[in-house]
Amino acid sequence: MPRTPDTSGRVLHAQLHLLDRQLIDQADGHLAGKIDDVELDLDADPPVVAALITGRERITARRIAAIDTAVTVVVEDLDLDYYDNWVENHVIAKIPGAGDATE
Amino acid sequence: MKKVLGVTLGILTAIGGFVDIGDLVTNALVGARFGLHLAWVVIVGVIGICLYAEMCGRVVAMSGRPVFDLIRERLGPRTGLLTLVASFLVTLLTLIAEIGGVALAFELASGVNYLLWMPLAAFAVWLVIWRVKFSRLEQVFGLMGLLLVVFAVALFKLGPDWGELLHQATRPHPIGPEDWSTYAYFAIALFGAAMTPYEVFFFSSGGVEEKWTRRDLVTARSNVFVGFPLGGILSLAIMGCTAVLFLPAGIQVGTLGQVTLPVAVALGKIGLAIVLIGVFAATFGAALETALSCGYTIAQYRGWQWGKLVRPREASRFHVVMIVCIVLAMLTLLTSVDPVLVTEYSVVFAAMALPLTYLPILIVANDPDYVGKETNGPLRNAFGLVYLALLVVASLAAIPLMIITKGGQ
Repeated sequence: MPRTPDTSGRVLHAQLHLLDRQLIDQADGHLAGKIDDVELDLDADPPVVAALITGRERITARRIAAIDTAVTVVVEDLDLDYYDNWVENHVIAKIPGAGDATE
Repeated sequence: MKKVLGVTLGILTAIGGFVDIGDLVTNALVGARFGLHLAWVVIVGVIGICLYAEMCGRVVAMSGRPVFDLIRERLGPRTGLLTLVASFLVTLLTLIAEIGGVALAFELASGVNYLLWMPLAAFAVWLVIWRVKFSRLEQVFGLMGLLLVVFAVALFKLGPDWGELLHQATRPHPIGPEDWSTYAYFAIALFGAAMTPYEVFFFSSGGVEEKWTRRDLVTARSNVFVGFPLGGILSLAIMGCTAVLFLPAGIQVGTLGQVTLPVAVALGKIGLAIVLIGVFAATFGAALETALSCGYTIAQYRGWQWGKLVRPREASRFHVVMIVCIVLAMLTLLTSVDPVLVTEYSVVFAAMALPLTYLPILIVANDPDYVGKETNGPLRNAFGLVYLALLVVASLAAIPLMIITKGGQ
């Protein structure tokens, strides 16, 4: 299991605590997809989580910052927002007021 | 003082927000055909929505996660997807009915055909979602919806034989030309109208939009336990009005104009003006809620950024889903399909989707991972299970009854 400061030593059930859980970008708190799959390192004893898979991106275990009711990850150079940015640039940004906060 | 004001405002909003086109049409229709012989279903439905909305509110306040987020987590991607498809389609159908209802309210007020109003209504729904802050849209339309209290005033003014109404309400069986199959069919429709799935999606996502924490549990509970039952009384007042005015005359309700007619008869032009504003607010508010719920369900299943607490461009896919849904609703209505008929079917389809929506809520409300020590007690679980059984029965019986009764004819 991933060892991070606040979850060190915690035994997690991969299916219950990781699979299909919400991902959150640590930098801005934005929602960044779901955990579609979990990659295990079976060579280690006991087996540990090597990476989380979301869409086409692979998030290595050391990027996991916290595991709670959602999983916070350090996104940095990963492109988790590819589709959202595409829709933003091609559709939403063209509508007036897209960048304004609501009143 | 501010706290009290907040709670009061929440309750008032919940009352006004409880009634939508489904409740308006179904209650009026049932009152005209069955009198108050089906009134008990409204009470059963209100208790059910209170029970499950409280669980949703608690899960949100304790975990910060809305319902659909957790549906996939607990049911897995496949069953989750089935739930998503069913809930989404029902919510979209409800959105179509609500936008139709807004346009019909304009038609009643202006005399101009609703098809001409419809694109304007759809555009207005989108514009409000695009530009107006979440708390404001909830309050404005919820408070305006309170004008529907005029149905209760009208009922008193009509001077009914209260003993006769009580007599009807305590005798749960079909009357006159109706048989048990239409009776059961409309019982399911009323149940579906009271417990429509979008209510819990909207309620729990709204909790996240308003950043509820465990300190907001009181607010959440007072909204549910005071606001919803009072909203249910509004529903009963609508049923009572048509029971008094239409049932003895043998008139069936098939248009929104007929729904509002008892108020016009009892209170004249001013009453009619008030009820039309109330109907507009209730349907417009519900159109906003259903459009948002369409976006909430898909975005939360997929894990996309959603919500009105960020700028539209930061939740672009969420906004695109809503735009597509509103356009789809508009195109469907432009085929001149009768919005009242759409409403009648939407509440029955809602009843079919109910178990899929409510089962995961019951599971999550028992999971200490999400709610900490605030898990369901044995009493709430017992009620929850009884209702789940009811929902399954209603869901399984809906289609056969729809075929047997030819859609309640």
